[in-house]
Amino acid sequence: MKTAAATSRAGADAVAPQALLAGLAAIALLAFLLSLAVGPTGALIEASPGARALIFWEIRLPRALLGALVGGALGLSGAALQGYLRNPLAEPSIIGVSGGAALGAVIAIHLGLAQVLALALPLGGLAGALVAMLAVVFLGGMRGGPVTLILAGLAVSAFATALISLALNLSANPFASVEMVFWMMGSLADRSLTHVWLAAPLILAGVWMLLRAGRALDALTLGEDAAQSLGIDLARTRLLIVAGTALAVGAATAVTGVIGFVGLIVPHALRPLAAHRPGLLLPASALAGAALLATADVALRLAQPLVDLRIGVFTALIGAPFFVWLVLRLRRQLAP
Amino acid sequence: MHDAPPLPALSAALRIVRRRVGDVRQRLRRVAAGSACAGLAMLACSGALAQDQPRKPQRIVSLDLCTDQLLIDLVPRGRIAAVTHLAADPSVSAIPDKARGLPVTRGGAEDVLAHDPDLVLAGPWGVSGTVSLLQRLGRNVVIVPLASDLAGVRSAITAVATAVGEPEAGVQAVAQFDARLADVAATPRGPGRPSALIYQVGGSASAPGTLADAAIEAAGFRNAALAYTTTRTGQVPLEAIVARPPDVLVLASPPHAYRTVLADNLRHPALAALTRRVPTLTLPWRQWLCGTPHIATAVEQLAAVARGEAAP
Repeated sequence: MKTAAATSRAGADAVAPQALLAGLAAIALLAFLLSLAVGPTGALIEASPGARALIFWEIRLPRALLGALVGGALGLSGAALQGYLRNPLAEPSIIGVSGGAALGAVIAIHLGLAQVLALALPLGGLAGALVAMLAVVFLGGMRGGPVTLILAGLAVSAFATALISLALNLSANPFASVEMVFWMMGSLADRSLTHVWLAAPLILAGVWMLLRAGRALDALTLGEDAAQSLGIDLARTRLLIVAGTALAVGAATAVTGVIGFVGLIVPHALRPLAAHRPGLLLPASALAGAALLATADVALRLAQPLVDLRIGVFTALIGAPFFVWLVLRLRRQLAP
Repeated sequence: MHDAPPLPALSAALRIVRRRVGDVRQRLRRVAAGSACAGLAMLACSGALAQDQPRKPQRIVSLDLCTDQLLIDLVPRGRIAAVTHLAADPSVSAIPDKARGLPVTRGGAEDVLAHDPDLVLAGPWGVSGTVSLLQRLGRNVVIVPLASDLAGVRSAITAVATAVGEPEAGVQAVAQFDARLADVAATPRGPGRPSALIYQVGGSASAPGTLADAAIEAAGFRNAALAYTTTRTGQVPLEAIVARPPDVLVLASPPHAYRTVLADNLRHPALAALTRRVPTLTLPWRQWLCGTPHIATAVEQLAAVARGEAAP
């Protein structure tokens, strides 16, 4: 992304929309292909033909697909939330939507629902994300200012974490404490095509809804009154954002655990390139999110077992300092 | 209390004072005996200590699944004040039936004290706060080093047997354990050693230096985990196993035994495909999770497969 920014920022401060999207799509595709080529057994030359096919189709393909899908969902949700809530700090994991999704998934698994009906897993994630999303929107409000929203998100997030811990303790399986780590710091390791089939339809539905809110978000940069005068239906926009985020983040988190900060980093990095137009920022963030998560996953697998990190830990390691930097910048802006 | 008391109240008071003095005297005697013993061998002194306190602990509390099992095997039930709830859990305990019905402690110093133990057995992990508090309150706590190999199993048996005052039972248990292992080792096997891998929920494998590794080696297998790059926590990527499968794959639990996302690796389609090609055996985790004599059962089952007597 940075190279694209450096080369194309020569004249204007924004890139032609088509060029931006095409460039990001190319990077995302490259990252996806790299993700297929990288793994603990390297380029698969030494494996037997049977094993090679099995590894490629059942282990690497789902991992690469989920990396791109989940990264795209998170990047896009971050951009949509920031645009709609008009809050530079909004992001699924920060405002508690990811935590709610993880809680929903944990409940679906430990009540045995996911064993009876596999689809209960992403649906649980969706339900949890939706409840958290509604709680944050009503608690923090859209007019409450950046800090109120983050505080509301903090409360929802802490509550979700506590309930996950409670659910895992009540389930009394000997792996409860280790499982907590999976949900808090997500992972793409050893996921299967089953997970892809379960999550992909819901993620794609959410992505579709969020992308459709682009025009409304463009208009909303002029203020709510101006947006309404341009014929934007605010209630419909809210429905698209809330349901779209819950679908995308809920289904993604249900199969990978919480992967934080992707939705924070990606839109901020792209905003100058997208000329501060949410309508363009949305698809760009989806592509860049996919590229970022797939690339991070490739980097981590190349560094294994030297750096034995989960991808959720990795994104938090990058994302948390970035969050601090945003807070400092916001403080300078708000200072009299 | 030889003289008749002048007043009932006074006599009661006197009795209390006498008892207190007696307590102190007894305690001093015990301390003296104990310190005199410090420089001598344990056996020589046990007689001196036995005069004042029961030689064998009578209200034993165990705070660790592994000490639970060692304790239950070595001591009559009446002397066990409490074990963990895990001891009766068939998914992790090798002897759930023997543990059923025993009082359970949920851990924590207060709960332990409620059982008024004269001996607390703990493992090295997870309860250090409870243990140091109990020690500060003067309770007799023995921390049993948990085994990570078969020699460690013997020393864990001996450590618990000594602590509970049943050294002979300990010697006997070690002898039985060794006899079972010797039987396995003495049974003739074919040429070459097939490789085996124990694969567990969460992707953990029989990494070197674990009991699973010890069981595999004792059964006459080569540990296939050595061929893979394992993470620091002993995990092997599924991809590595599919690429270079072991001769025998040993699953630590059936795929649907646990409702946890961590067991997804055992339900993975790639693993299911692999088990159709590679001889696979399910060896319950509870048999080798703890370093107790029951790990010999795991070794015997694995050895039968290694010799080709039992179909995996």
